[in-house]
Amino acid sequence: MIKTSRLRFETGGSTDFVDLTARLQEIVAASGLREGRVHLQSLHTTLAVTINENEPLLLADFEALLERLAPRSVAYQHDDFANRVGILPDEPVNGHAHCRQLLLQPSATLLVEDGRLVLGRWQSVFAVELDGPRHRELALQLEGEAGASDRNRDQIRLELARQLMADPEPIGAPMRRLVESGGKRLRPLLVMLTAHVGPRFDSLRAGVLAAAVELIHNATLVHDDYVDESPVRHGAATVAAAEGPERAIAVGDYYFAKGTRLIAELGEPAVSLTIARAMEAICRSQIDDLALRGRYPGDREGYLQVVQGKTAALIAASCVAGAQLAGAGDHTVARLGRYGELIGIAFQMADDVVDFSDHSGKPLGQDIRMRTVSLPLIYASEDRVAGAEVRRLLAAEPREEDIPRVVDLVRSSGAVERASGEARRLAGQAVAELEALDGELDGVRSHLVQLATSAVDRLV
Amino acid sequence: MIANRELEGIEFLWETGLGERFDAYRSETAAPEPLVLAAALVETALVEQRLGAGVADPAPLLVADLCLARSSRLLAESASQPVQVEFARAVEAAATAAAEGGALPIRPRLLAILRAAS
Repeated sequence: MIKTSRLRFETGGSTDFVDLTARLQEIVAASGLREGRVHLQSLHTTLAVTINENEPLLLADFEALLERLAPRSVAYQHDDFANRVGILPDEPVNGHAHCRQLLLQPSATLLVEDGRLVLGRWQSVFAVELDGPRHRELALQLEGEAGASDRNRDQIRLELARQLMADPEPIGAPMRRLVESGGKRLRPLLVMLTAHVGPRFDSLRAGVLAAAVELIHNATLVHDDYVDESPVRHGAATVAAAEGPERAIAVGDYYFAKGTRLIAELGEPAVSLTIARAMEAICRSQIDDLALRGRYPGDREGYLQVVQGKTAALIAASCVAGAQLAGAGDHTVARLGRYGELIGIAFQMADDVVDFSDHSGKPLGQDIRMRTVSLPLIYASEDRVAGAEVRRLLAAEPREEDIPRVVDLVRSSGAVERASGEARRLAGQAVAELEALDGELDGVRSHLVQLATSAVDRLV
Repeated sequence: MIANRELEGIEFLWETGLGERFDAYRSETAAPEPLVLAAALVETALVEQRLGAGVADPAPLLVADLCLARSSRLLAESASQPVQVEFARAVEAAATAAAEGGALPIRPRLLAILRAAS
C-alpha cells in the first residue's frame, strides 16, 4: 500500500519545536500500515524535520545553537530588499531562518513495525519552526504492508467521504476538515469488526453504520471543542475556532441528525435504540463533567460516571450495534458491549496517564490546565503525603507556574503507576470477555484483542 | 402523563418553554405522547442553542444536546422508521439554514410530521 496525506499544524513562536510523535502514531494506526515506512517532507523553506529528545532544556540548547550558527541580528543578503528582485508586499526578514534550515533537514523517514513507529525510548519527531509563528504543512507518504483490518479502514474512509460529499458546503467543509485531520476511528472500526459476529454480515450496511457512528462522534467533538474553548484538534483548527461558535453549533446538530437518520434508514430498531441510548448517556455525562470541574479533581466514583458516559458509552454501543446489525445472539451482544465498555474506560485512563508523560506530543499537564477529569490527579489528591498540596493547588484555576509542581506531585505519589495498572487490568478484563465467546469470533478475534491491547500499549 | 425519566436532568425546562411547546404540539395533533414530547424537545433544543439566532453559552448548549439525544431515544423507542427519518431531516434543514446565515422555524415541519403520524 501507498497512502499520501498532509499533516497541518500551527507553530507557536519564531523558533518552535513541535512534537509530532503522537499525531504520527495516530496516523499510522489509522492507516492500517503494519510494516513499512513513513516519509515526512516539509513543504516550507523555513521549516525543518528532526528526531531528538523532547526535553525542554535541551530544546532551549538547540535554539541557542541555531542562534549562534545563524544569528538573527547579522545582515543577510536575502534581507536586502533594496537589491533583491521579486519582493512581495509582506516579504519577511528571514535570511537567518533559511540559513538555519540549511543546517537541518527538510525531510525524514521513519520505520514502522507491527503498526507502530520504530522509535527509541527518548526519540521524538519534531517539526522545527524557524520563522514562526505560522500555519505549516508536512507531506506524508506511508508505504508498506497493510494489516488485515486495512480493508475495514478503507471502507470506513470511503463511506465517510461519500457521506460528506453530498452535504451543503458551509456544513460539510468544516466536518471534512475534522474527519481528514486524523483520529483513531476506533468506534467505526469496532462496528465493522463486530458486524462480522452474526449470521447476517453485510459489508455495505456495516459501512454505513460505521460512518454514521463516526459522524455522531465527531458531532459531539464539534460541540465539545466550543464548550472547552479548544482552538485545535488533531492539528487542525476546530470548527468553533475557524468558523465561529454559531457555525459549530449548526455543524454539530447537522451531523448528530444525519448520523441518526442514516442509522434509522438501516431499518434495525434495536440498532437505532442502542446508539440513541449511548447519545443520551454522553450528553448526561457532559453535563456532569462540566459540574465536576467546580469541585476539581473530584473522586473516582464521579470520574467513572463521567468516563462511562463520555467515552465508553459510544465505544460499547459501537460493539453492540455492529453485532445487532449482523443478527448476533443476545449473549454475544452483551459480551461485546461489556468488552467495548472496558476498553473505552481503559483508553481514557491511558490518555490520562499519557498526559503526565514527557512524550505525549501535548504540553505537559494539559489536563490540569483544562480542568479535565483525570484519574492520576484524583489518586494524587487522595495520597497521604502529596494529597493536601495537590488539592490546594487545584482548588482554583491553576497558575501556569504551579503546573510543573502538580505534575511532580502526581508522579512522586505513585498515582501514575496506579492508574496505569488499573487501565491494564481493564484491558485484560476486556480480552477475557472475548474468551467467553470462543468460536463465535472467527476472523475478528485477533483484531479485537489487538484493539484492547492498543488501549494500554502507550503506557511505559 | 409524562414519565419522570423523560424529564430527568431537564425538569427546569418544563417551566421555561418545554411544557408550553408540549401543549402546543399536543393541541394540534393526535400523535402519541412520546412523539409529541420528542417534537417539543427538538424545538426546545434549537431555542436553547439559539440556532440561527446567536450563540448559546456552554451550559445551555449541553442541556440542548441532551434534549436532542432524548428526543432521538424517544423516537427510537416509539416511532416508525419514516417518522425517525423525517425528524432527523427537519433538524438537518434547520442546521443548514443556520449555517447559511438564516433561520428556519422548525414547528411547522414537526407538526406536519406529527399529523402524518397521527
